[in-house]
Amino acid sequence: MISSLHRILIIGRNTLTEAVRQKVLSVLLVFALIQISSSIFISQLATPDLDAAGLFAEQIKLVKDAGCGAIGLFGFFIALLSTALLIPQELDKRTIYTILAKPVRRAEFLLGKFLGVVLLLALCVALMSLAFAATLYWQESIGLATVEANYGQVGDWQHNAHAREMHDNDVALIIHQVRDPQLVEAIVLIFAKIIMTAVIALLISTFATSWIFTIITTFLVYLIGHGEGMARTYWLAHGAETTIWQSGLIGLIALLIPDMNSFTIVDEILAGHQVPWHDVLNLLCYANVYVIVLLAVSVVIFDYREL
Amino acid sequence: MNDFPLRLRLRRAALVALLLGLWAPFKVAWEQQISRQQDEIRYHGLVMTRELRDGLGQGLTIGVLSGMRSVVADIIWLNVTTAWENQEWFRMGGLINLCTSLQPRAAVFWDMGGWHLAWNASVAAMHDKDQPNELRRIKASRYWIDQGLDVYKRGIENNPEYWRLWRDTAMLYDQRLKDYPKAAYYYKEASKRPGAPVFLERFPALMYDKYHGNDDQAAYAEWKELWERLTPEEREMKEHWKEKIENNIRELERKLSVPKEKRIFPN
Repeated sequence: MISSLHRILIIGRNTLTEAVRQKVLSVLLVFALIQISSSIFISQLATPDLDAAGLFAEQIKLVKDAGCGAIGLFGFFIALLSTALLIPQELDKRTIYTILAKPVRRAEFLLGKFLGVVLLLALCVALMSLAFAATLYWQESIGLATVEANYGQVGDWQHNAHAREMHDNDVALIIHQVRDPQLVEAIVLIFAKIIMTAVIALLISTFATSWIFTIITTFLVYLIGHGEGMARTYWLAHGAETTIWQSGLIGLIALLIPDMNSFTIVDEILAGHQVPWHDVLNLLCYANVYVIVLLAVSVVIFDYREL
Repeated sequence: MNDFPLRLRLRRAALVALLLGLWAPFKVAWEQQISRQQDEIRYHGLVMTRELRDGLGQGLTIGVLSGMRSVVADIIWLNVTTAWENQEWFRMGGLINLCTSLQPRAAVFWDMGGWHLAWNASVAAMHDKDQPNELRRIKASRYWIDQGLDVYKRGIENNPEYWRLWRDTAMLYDQRLKDYPKAAYYYKEASKRPGAPVFLERFPALMYDKYHGNDDQAAYAEWKELWERLTPEEREMKEHWKEKIENNIRELERKLSVPKEKRIFPN
């Protein structure tokens, strides 16, 4: 058991090293970092020459949306590319035969590869989150400086109770929105969604013959996953009323495709609403179990694959 | 020779079917539970209607379907700002509706959208140099005020805990529509919401002051309630308020001939 874990870890570490060396992934990461930090300029574009207190909320929302959107989008692309290329590259270079000729089981090979992708994605998300935090801090500094400048023009505002209260409210609003601890929940959920995308790509790549097929199919599953909720609800409520083919198709979507739309609760967090941790944990558990099930299926398929 | 791989394939298919078959019922039940949980806290505001799809266009629809709803809404919001700068009010109204439909729980869209319509568009309509008829200008201005009011009210429906939307609606009734009892109601609701500035507590009663004696009973009830709600320490902390509250209550008690035993200030 321990030696098996050791082998998985070694394959994972090598996969991470190989992935880090890939230029495509580095370029994607650089683009993500640029998009995250440029969100400040986008937020300024949305509220030109206006610095009233209400608009800080809008600016901060734009920075948060753009930042988390970039983490999700680029994370998705990195997950898709890195996972889809895992097995085809090994087959092309014929390194898989060398590895499997050693006392390494196919399951260990696959799990190790997946571990490497998870580590890569964790690294990318951590880097993007750091850039996101720095951008938010920058936005906060701009907001606070503008508040002080605005009140500075009023003159004797410190001696006016209403003005003081308004000032404190504005400052609290900015700080509360920027330093929102719920953003951690948002990033964890985005990470879970990216991992789910990676495991879907891994499963498809275990039986696919080309990486293009894997990428296109995973992308379609990802898109359908956002409508899975609708399909499931319809199937449960009206499944018996439709034809057997319609019911079968919708049922298949409901039974196999993950519900990606559940992860849109990230939007609620970004809009500043409270999302309880137990709801987030429930969703994370769902993602975890889904990943484990798909990994098990991938192992079964890969175990029986002719190489 | 040939049936060996077939047997392997069959065994593989059976195993995969078994794994997925065992998982599928749990998956559906679990997803239903998550969905119910999220519906309870009104997470999913978006229902993809035909109008919404037409308004979004193909590219942005894919954006929404791929879980980038907030980013899509922000991109559309950039167009709202451009439409506002170019004074394209009808286009701006449509885009605001699109943004609020995409993210009904983003209170800032309702807040800003209502302001653009009820204030910016309505003031621009009032000063429209291309319209010589004053009555038509007033009518156009009123149209935009109603549009803004509608946005605020739908915003409140979706974000009842956001005090700014209640305050904005109150301000609209107070400063544009001169409907002071309604303004008082919305100010009062705003003051009850978390994060609302303390000075809002005084505004409902102030609205009845502005009503110029049209409803002294309601004004008295508001001032009295405010006085009783504040602790003695709070009254002292806001000494410049205390005097005003006291004067108003005294005046209304005299005006309404409140029996001495029921007065707050019998002397």
